Amino acid sequence: MKIIKFLVSTILAVGLTYTLNRPWGSIPALGRFFSPFEGFLSNGESKTSLPPSDLKIEGLKDEVTVVFDDNRIPHVFANNDEDLYFAQGYLVAKDRLWQMEFYTMAAAGRLSEIVGARAVELDRHSRRLGMSATAKEIAKQLNSNPIAKSVLEAYSAGVNAYIKQVAYKDLPVEYKILGYQPEEWSPYKTILMLQNMRNTLNSGSSDYRMSNVMAKYGEDVVKELFPDYPVIESPIIPEGTKWEFTPVPVPSVPSPAVENAGVAFNLAIPEPRPEIGSNNWAVHGDKSATGLPILANDPHLQLTLPSIWYQIQLTSPNVNVYGACLPGTPGVTIGFNKDVAWGVTNTHTDIMDFYQIKFKDKSMKEYWYNGAWKPTTMRIEEISVKGMPTVKDTIFSTHHGPILYNEGQNPTDKGIPTAHAMRWIANELIATDLMTFYYLNRAKNYTDYRKALTYYVAPAQNFIFASNENDIAITPNGKFPLKWKGQGKFVLDGTNPAHDWQGWIPTEHNPTVKNPARKFVSSANQFPTDQTYPYYLGWRYASHERASQINRRLSAMEKATVDSLRSVQNDNTNLEAKRILPEIFKVLDTDPAVSKDAIYQTVRKWNMKNDADEVGATIYEEWVVALRRAIWEDDFKLEDKENKVPMLYPTNDVTWNMIKTKPNALWFDDVTTKDKQETLADMLKKSFKATSDSLTKNYGPMNAKTWAWAVVKSTDINHLVPFFKSFSRLDLHVGGGGKIVNAITRSTGPSWRMVVQLDKGWPKAYGVYPGGQSGNIGSPFYDNMVDTWAKGELNELLFMKSKDEKNPRISATMKIKP
Amino acid sequence: MTYIIILIISAVAQYFLPWWVIAPISFIFCAWKSESAKGAYAAAAGAIASVWTAYTIYLNSTTDSIMANKIAALFTFGSSFLEKLPTAGYLGFVAILLASTVAGLSGVAGYNFRQLFK
Repeated sequence: MKIIKFLVSTILAVGLTYTLNRPWGSIPALGRFFSPFEGFLSNGESKTSLPPSDLKIEGLKDEVTVVFDDNRIPHVFANNDEDLYFAQGYLVAKDRLWQMEFYTMAAAGRLSEIVGARAVELDRHSRRLGMSATAKEIAKQLNSNPIAKSVLEAYSAGVNAYIKQVAYKDLPVEYKILGYQPEEWSPYKTILMLQNMRNTLNSGSSDYRMSNVMAKYGEDVVKELFPDYPVIESPIIPEGTKWEFTPVPVPSVPSPAVENAGVAFNLAIPEPRPEIGSNNWAVHGDKSATGLPILANDPHLQLTLPSIWYQIQLTSPNVNVYGACLPGTPGVTIGFNKDVAWGVTNTHTDIMDFYQIKFKDKSMKEYWYNGAWKPTTMRIEEISVKGMPTVKDTIFSTHHGPILYNEGQNPTDKGIPTAHAMRWIANELIATDLMTFYYLNRAKNYTDYRKALTYYVAPAQNFIFASNENDIAITPNGKFPLKWKGQGKFVLDGTNPAHDWQGWIPTEHNPTVKNPARKFVSSANQFPTDQTYPYYLGWRYASHERASQINRRLSAMEKATVDSLRSVQNDNTNLEAKRILPEIFKVLDTDPAVSKDAIYQTVRKWNMKNDADEVGATIYEEWVVALRRAIWEDDFKLEDKENKVPMLYPTNDVTWNMIKTKPNALWFDDVTTKDKQETLADMLKKSFKATSDSLTKNYGPMNAKTWAWAVVKSTDINHLVPFFKSFSRLDLHVGGGGKIVNAITRSTGPSWRMVVQLDKGWPKAYGVYPGGQSGNIGSPFYDNMVDTWAKGELNELLFMKSKDEKNPRISATMKIKP
Repeated sequence: MTYIIILIISAVAQYFLPWWVIAPISFIFCAWKSESAKGAYAAAAGAIASVWTAYTIYLNSTTDSIMANKIAALFTFGSSFLEKLPTAGYLGFVAILLASTVAGLSGVAGYNFRQLFK
């Protein structure tokens, strides 16, 4: 009896302890997770919790002082550059370790290891893109670049110093929930982080959709509806700027230039994402109140928590720079120093092309190229999956690049897959990107800026610049393939050497302008140049509205101040509505069935600003989507489930121009209705009805509250694991939109807003991002800047002259000793 | 007395050792001190409940409960009914209940262990 009692109670006690000490599916080990001594509760922080005043870390050469301001932004003062980047690595890891590792896991195609089977397809895609394989190769080449090597190694050592000393109880709570541990950091991981940015900013393709359009409608329709340059544009380099170089010969257009679309192309490659755009501009001293330039930048990215940016000041005897850096990468990416400021926006150059490959047989071991069979290379990727067997994926590569897909089976080819290989700038094995930022951080003038840019490869960016020598400049910059006109607009012929990339545009021929006559420079992801530029850079860029509005505002501006530039960042004017609504009203005003409608009246009276409380903006934004669908879906299906021939709609620019100049175009006819020929008016009425029906259904009868633009748009800043809803900030009350200068959409927007006023003495700078310095969800500094950002305000940035500077905003000083 | 001993020893031990140290501590001290199975359960479960409750309250009060609220909201699985409840409180209650059950059962096992030799 006694034995039974003992055994039963012991089994119960041990059993329960064991059960609570291990994870079950997605439920973490609850005993450890719930324990206030080591679980999630021990991650909590308060507004007053301060970093330690003294810290000992092995690996430093000398003492480093870190001053924290009232937003917990670190200001690092080191006695040499190695210690500087070591400290940066340590501090960023302390605040953002989980996030920076997560990005590298995503780029390397290893998310399945942490979240299980649901990420396998995503991982397979990342691995086929080849980001990890390329990063490994680039890391191997670092020896040829001693500065990059030393910076990356010092940074890695700093990250690892943190990982080595962090106790389980202080590990970011995401590790505790998902049940894994951080791995060692290395230069390879930093390069992976950059690959992740290349993927975010310079990927996506509609080449196969264009091939389908060409196959169905032919060249004339492509020329009419998918032109190489828009009707309305305000290019980055002002129209009429002279090119100060003699162009190298451009390859001539081969014949045929378009791969014969023998199979319907249906590649599961995402569309380019123009909403991941950005704004930047700089006004010359002649236009500013101070007589010296002011520079502004707001890169638009997926809005996430923890924030994609981390603010830091980095000071050593060789550099004193402040700005935003990407967690996982050394130095400052967008920022300023005593003499200069710089920023970036994305350049949507076409640097991802697809080649149709003809294999000899099913084995895919050889492919036809230049009149001979050429061998492929083969690599097997093993994807580890949490709680499941490992998934293997065989990846074949050609000299063009990896085969991304081979699902396009053509029955006449006896089972030989028609595959597509990808040539992508992100797989170029050049490791010098970081040097651009290294030199920009230290730049003193325009010459230094130009030199820094020569190191840059990808993702191509419009680098804007201003200095206290009263120079302003902008350069769409990156490594651009030297293409024949239109090369890569359609799927290319992988058997024909004339379809290969034919070398590069010389870096010094990249478009650039310094101190233009209009006294400002700007960019908003639009076309880099007008049509006089001698090289082909792609046919599709973000539409002109943001650029035009910025340029209008800046042209009109005199005596610009930080505040007037901030007001441009928050400009909600809807230029597209101003272009198209008058044309629409002309048609619909004459139709009493529509013109008396209360919803129509609301959009009729709307001030054409996407302010948070505008109902008109809601109606307009829903309507333009419905209108484009009504006009184009019958002719250019985006998703064609039946025939698997997906195409794309002509751009808004083409659509609006057609409404204005060709109101009787046959394209307005809905080809799915046999006995009737629809007109523009029919499409307008049909789409308007669809809009009012859908809004009424989703938000009730029209009213100022539930139909307000901010409410319908419902901007969310999601945690990187979107399932973690309570770690996100949802339903922010903000205006804006994708084609609005204040580019806040449902899930993307200005991820960092910065305005820098240059000065002969000491610059004044302002900035904010929608997040906080800490990646810890239990910290008040996790999201403390979100409200400032949502209001469109900026924080003054504390740019310290020395570590001994006194300032009431300093909240703590930490000495790190070796 | 057993309650006080387990309370103090486990508080110190948990600061340095994994959470499950509460099980052997309850086992050992109940084997040594407890007079009855019920007494063992009450002393061990009570001690651990006290330690966890006190430390949880302390941590929440110094950090505005940001962490507890966000984690609790995760466990509501997007259910609007559950979101209306004070979930952070329930979550804390469940956590403390589980830990004290581990300790209580271990205490009873310890008491029963000593009975084997009587």
